[in-house]
Amino acid sequence: MSVLRELSERLQRGQAKEVEALVQQALDEGETPQRILEDGLMQGMGVIGERFKANEVFVPEVLIAARAMHAGIAVLEPHLVSAGVKARGKVVLGTVKGDLHDIGKNLVRMMMEAKGLAVIDLGVDVSAERFVRAATEHDADIVACSALLTTTMTEMRHVVEAAQAQGLRGRVCIMVGGAPVTDAFREAIGADLYAPDASSAADAALAHCAGRAS
Amino acid sequence: MNGLERYLGTVAGRAVDDLARTPILMQFAAEFSGSDYGRFAADHCVLVEANVRCAEVFGIDQLSCISDPYRETHGFGGAVTFVADGPPRSTQPLADTKDLDTLAVPDPMGSARMLDRVRAVERYARDHAGTYSLLGWVEGPAAQAANLRGVITFMFDLMDDPEYAGALMDVCVETGIAFARAQVAAGADTIGIGDAIASQIDPRTYEALIQPREKRLVQAVRASGAFAKLHICGNITHLLPGIADLGVDIVDVDHMVDLAAVRAAVGERVVITGNLDPVSVVRNGTPASIASGVLDAYERAGNPYMVNAGCEIPAGTPAENLAALCRPLPYRA
Repeated sequence: MSVLRELSERLQRGQAKEVEALVQQALDEGETPQRILEDGLMQGMGVIGERFKANEVFVPEVLIAARAMHAGIAVLEPHLVSAGVKARGKVVLGTVKGDLHDIGKNLVRMMMEAKGLAVIDLGVDVSAERFVRAATEHDADIVACSALLTTTMTEMRHVVEAAQAQGLRGRVCIMVGGAPVTDAFREAIGADLYAPDASSAADAALAHCAGRAS
Repeated sequence: MNGLERYLGTVAGRAVDDLARTPILMQFAAEFSGSDYGRFAADHCVLVEANVRCAEVFGIDQLSCISDPYRETHGFGGAVTFVADGPPRSTQPLADTKDLDTLAVPDPMGSARMLDRVRAVERYARDHAGTYSLLGWVEGPAAQAANLRGVITFMFDLMDDPEYAGALMDVCVETGIAFARAQVAAGADTIGIGDAIASQIDPRTYEALIQPREKRLVQAVRASGAFAKLHICGNITHLLPGIADLGVDIVDVDHMVDLAAVRAAVGERVVITGNLDPVSVVRNGTPASIASGVLDAYERAGNPYMVNAGCEIPAGTPAENLAALCRPLPYRA
């Protein structure tokens, strides 16, 4: 088995120490940082994302796979920097004001990172102003807002309005998601993208960033 | 038939006049009665008044004690704060340590928030026994463990240290049993077990670690003379074999699950409740679409069945929509 394939499989099983060692082994064997990232780490996490979407694996398996990916990236990061490998896009992410739920938001972060996107995670209970400030500060491509409660999803409208007020609309894409959120709601509040699950959110975000880059 | 007769008849598998209605009310009830969620969760008098008012206005057959997940967590030493327009917030007593000895030992009759729920049951029993079913509530083992450790941390525990996760859930089960018994002694005829997080766990881990502990809790509830009802938010399709083996009397089913599949798994004894989509159908739909949704759900679930949304009736649901959900629908043999 090639080292990259083994890397992918160990990552899928959440074996962080083995992933760390295999990243180092791949570097020692002369693999490029980009190939290790894309064909090893991201490939493995991509498989987990698809299996999660198909209800073949569940949240704990995604969590340990993501932890293994982070362990691998920690080894790889200096090499990625010196090789000039850049993120495929930048996303400011958070759960909206008044809402403390973070599982869905964390899954979105993991899936987006697995697609090579840089995620600035603002955490939970994030005000519209903080979203917009972070988007400006980090020159983000996307602001992604999560909500689990019907009482807090309405905060997403404030994020759209705050982005509008700061002149960011057209420059920054507003993505919304969470259990009670629908595409009809997205349309009603004037947001740009809706995704029904974490994996789709990552796909949509990547597609958006790729579209901007091309 | 009054609400209790309709409810007991359904659980016993007998023919009833209309389908029993058991929607889950929290923030909606608080606001409908002119209060707010913070006061509803903090004071059993507000909770009781709000639920009784909704039962009378909408024709609901059960009075419930559900408010939030942090009754037991407070007993374990969590610091709970209340907010007017959202669920209470709590610290996680085991967020930074795995040491179970650091936990306070909750006493249902001594811990303020647990006792407040027992008082709610007592008040229902004093004023409404014989008229409505009285629903007590406890957290399931996985949900309570997650309340103590934090959801993500507990999920890592399940993967990294299953022995510890099991020991933690054992503590939670013992507290759940004591809390359930106190509510049954106060007059509850049914104890709901909320184990929301379980839907996010793979079937193998569920069957190995969570299901046996849920089963112990169910057995204790039934041994105390009450019916046991399971509520797991989210998609439980992958857990159905284990759920079918729990021995519950009633199972709540969320909107993304096929009721026919649930019926096939749990057999003809267990009451199924559900499963209209709380947001897109109950909150955002029309009375006509809700009525049609109830008929569809009954068709797929078959008897014994009780009318319910897949989960809590969301805040902001128009009153006419809840009225449509609760409109009497004749039982069909």
